[in-house]
Amino acid sequence: MRTIKLNKNSHKLVDDVLKNLKASPDLGIYKCVQCGMCTSICPGASQSDYDPRDMVRRVLEDDVSIVDDENIWNCFSCYTCNSVCPSGNNASEVNQILRQMSIDKGEGILKIQSFAAYGDSFIELGVGSVPSKFFDDMVKDVGPEYMNLKLDIEDIRSELGLGSYILPEKSIDEIEEILDKSGFKARLKRIKGSKK
Amino acid sequence: MKFIPDKEILLFKSCLVNVEYPGVESSTCYVFDKIGVEYHVDERQSCCTGLGHYYDLFDQLSTITLAARNFNVAADTGHKNIATMCATCYAILKKSAKILNQNEEAREEVNGILDDSGLEDMEYSSGDMDPARNIFHVAEILFNKREEISKHIKVDLTGFKVASHHACHYCKVHYKDTIEGIRDPNLIDELASACGVETIGWYDHKRVTCGAGFRQRYTNKEASLAVTGEKLQALKDKDVDILLHMCPNCQMQFDRYQPLIGEKLGTEFNIFHLNIAQFIALAMGADPYKIVGIQTHTVPVEPLLNKLKQPFNLKEDQSKRNSLKINENRD
Ligand code: SF4
Ligand code: SF4
Ligand code: SF4
Ligand code: SF4
Repeated sequence: MRTIKLNKNSHKLVDDVLKNLKASPDLGIYKCVQCGMCTSICPGASQSDYDPRDMVRRVLEDDVSIVDDENIWNCFSCYTCNSVCPSGNNASEVNQILRQMSIDKGEGILKIQSFAAYGDSFIELGVGSVPSKFFDDMVKDVGPEYMNLKLDIEDIRSELGLGSYILPEKSIDEIEEILDKSGFKARLKRIKGSKK
Repeated sequence: MKFIPDKEILLFKSCLVNVEYPGVESSTCYVFDKIGVEYHVDERQSCCTGLGHYYDLFDQLSTITLAARNFNVAADTGHKNIATMCATCYAILKKSAKILNQNEEAREEVNGILDDSGLEDMEYSSGDMDPARNIFHVAEILFNKREEISKHIKVDLTGFKVASHHACHYCKVHYKDTIEGIRDPNLIDELASACGVETIGWYDHKRVTCGAGFRQRYTNKEASLAVTGEKLQALKDKDVDILLHMCPNCQMQFDRYQPLIGEKLGTEFNIFHLNIAQFIALAMGADPYKIVGIQTHTVPVEPLLNKLKQPFNLKEDQSKRNSLKINENRD
């Protein structure tokens, strides 16, 4: 049987994962027993070479190449792994942290660049929206009625007795201020500006 | 049984409910009014960042700062209990409250950002929002009042085979707070039962994700739709007519893509998709277009309503655009 060797110097990556703001205080990565339950029910694993059990092993063995592994981008963030893990580990959360590390390094930016318009819309309106490139795909896949729905949405909402979903000016200003001071605006700029 | 409130509730607006299935919001309000839930909708509330968060576009610090602002909006009108219509908002808000309560350094950073933004009065103090006792999914609020729901049922929906899709981000993220089952979830099934409808209960794939996978739907479409297709097939094997939802994102994945998936697989699925609040509102006799909002659905709901003894005033053009027929031999 394969065992994971943990020695004093091999904790760098796992410590970085645990220190990340995204890591829940009770994230049980050290308790992983490599049982493979997560991989057995993982939709990412059934559809690609992504393997959450192996991802966790590589983090514990301080194999930093996992950050650059394309396969981490095949996770569905469905948390099914979390709900079955016998050790209180959360592979989904570990995955999200590795992706942020990849974004911080630069490579990961190319993976998320196409979603940047969601951030623009959030800053502008206080609500996100599907980036137009993906929206065009949806119209193709769902049908022209989907386009009509988008054009009629305000009318339909008033038919249903619902008000506008756009935030008041003052709230939008508050959100823009927050996203400026939190560093999100700069982050978004960096994401949009990055070239291959 | 955990404590579930029926008053002082902020009904948390969801960006996907807003523009995809607004009938989920009007149905929720309709049902809340009938069963005596006291709630408030606030125009100042922002989106939780959910989709952007799982696109990995948002950083955690921005997400929790916006959560602190929304928590303040909730408390400001005396509606400190949050009820979400979207499972992603539910999980994001709970996680944000946990970080804000437990991580002093992060809390100070958030308060610093709020100060710098001229929002000192929105500063967060540890314990302001209790993730287990103040943050709920609408389905839990309804479950707590299920006896009240039963008293208002007017429409007989028992002629259909009904199944449930429990949103992962409700069941599997903060599973210690999940009610009515995690690996065999039954929260929606219990609510259908309160409407006099017994669901099919367990089925193969019951707890499987919808397949949307956030970025996967857009950047890895084949894999995403394959997962959705497998679940639809499991439902078809059981001759299911109606799949009940509790999250606009899963509902989108199934309702918007079902025709395309059917085409790809050479199958007709004939499955209607309704949020549990839409289903309860229908059972209470709500108007399909003015309350339930079926006009935004991709799989038309008219053929389903045509099957009911209760006459609904259905729009011609809506039902004409569909090629979908409910299983004729099951009357
Ligand atoms: S993360 Fe949990 S489920 Fe996955 S291998 Fe480790 S112990 Fe098993
Ligand atoms: S969240 Fe977990 S189960 Fe779901 S795809 Fe990612 S690793 Fe797999
Ligand atoms: S989780 Fe989704 S639907 Fe809910 S507010 Fe956030 S982004 Fe919008
Ligand atoms: S089923 Fe899909 S959309 Fe629904 S909560 Fe789970 S991952 Fe999100």
